[in-house]
Amino acid sequence: MYVIMVYDVNVHRVAKVLKVGRKYLTWIQNSVLEGELTPAQFARLKRDVGKVIHEEEDSVLFYTLRDAGDVRREQMGVQKGEPEWLV
Amino acid sequence: MKKSLYLTSSGTLSRDQNTLLLELETGEKRYFPIEQIGDIHCFGEASLNKRLLEYLTQQGVPVHFYNYYEYYLGSYYPREHNSSGFLTLKQAEHYLDESKRLDLARRFVRGALQNLQQVLRYYAHREKPVHPMIEGIAQVEAQLDNAASVETLMQLEGQAREMYYSAFDPVLQNPDFAFESRSRRPPANRLNALISFGNSLMYTLALSEIYRTHLDPRIGFLHATNYRRFSLNLDVAEVFKPVLVDRTVLTLVGLRQIQPEHFGEELGGVYLNDEGRKRFIQAWEERLQSTFQHRKLKRNVSYRTAVRLDLYKIEKHLIGEKPYEPFRAYW
Repeated sequence: MYVIMVYDVNVHRVAKVLKVGRKYLTWIQNSVLEGELTPAQFARLKRDVGKVIHEEEDSVLFYTLRDAGDVRREQMGVQKGEPEWLV
Repeated sequence: MKKSLYLTSSGTLSRDQNTLLLELETGEKRYFPIEQIGDIHCFGEASLNKRLLEYLTQQGVPVHFYNYYEYYLGSYYPREHNSSGFLTLKQAEHYLDESKRLDLARRFVRGALQNLQQVLRYYAHREKPVHPMIEGIAQVEAQLDNAASVETLMQLEGQAREMYYSAFDPVLQNPDFAFESRSRRPPANRLNALISFGNSLMYTLALSEIYRTHLDPRIGFLHATNYRRFSLNLDVAEVFKPVLVDRTVLTLVGLRQIQPEHFGEELGGVYLNDEGRKRFIQAWEERLQSTFQHRKLKRNVSYRTAVRLDLYKIEKHLIGEKPYEPFRAYW
């Protein structure tokens, strides 16, 4: 499944959430990551994120799509990050 | 499905933030999600340390290295995590028992020859004059049952390949990419450079997939096991080369996506340059990720998965559950 993760968390935990997210997904821009995951990987991502956020204060959203082919994305301005496998 | 990471630019690879970090020579930092990476292919100059290797071992990610001329150098093959004593014994038994080895080797060659013919049939449908080559290979295939040794099988495979390659010029009809004859180390012309590069990628693909099974890559059946080399991946590659490598090469050249300017000449050989290599890898990955309807599983399967499924079939053959029937392309 294709996962888009966006987060709005207390400034103390921004780096922590980013660190967890980077293990699974590609950084796209501040507070946004995305990538193709298996259901098991997605479950582990949610588990790991759950360990660092404070439920009463932070908010993390996951949008899931069937696969990368379902994503239509338009961009304005500069490109900051992109999932790439040939560097 | 885990992805392959291809590094053609130079930089430093390290473990950072508990994932994989590539610092390019320009100072740019790129993080790659370790969870999504199945293997890494290094073409450029990469610096790395033991801490990273430890991490890659823990995550089970093999790294394949290629030199400046795109030759395969070797792999960092993390400690076996799926090893099974039972299967290793079975694999060795099938190598040591002459008749069992011959049977398995014959199956690999038969699979290879059938796929060679399948590729040519694809071009025959497009009205290319390749019927004599298809018949030639079919005749070689008929002799497989009589082959009494692995060496004979290798010779027959070589004969079929030669006939097959003679179809490249009539298929492509492109003077910039004349085949002439197969040449290696160094490849003498562009087409040979493409085939050699594709074969290297195929061998490492098979090796990476073997890592995800219980099989030992050091014990091959068609290709003799010797003191240092991985050889099982060469056996498996033989079956898939026509479908994956040769079709990629012929498509890239046929659609003019690779042009003469994507090559350079060095040390008396012809090699892909940076842009050419990128184009090839891109087409290669697309082919591996493309899917087809699997006849038995009744679902869409990618070609990368097809390689893995063949390895499982080999496992089943070794434990005596079901004889190995190599992957066969149907178009």
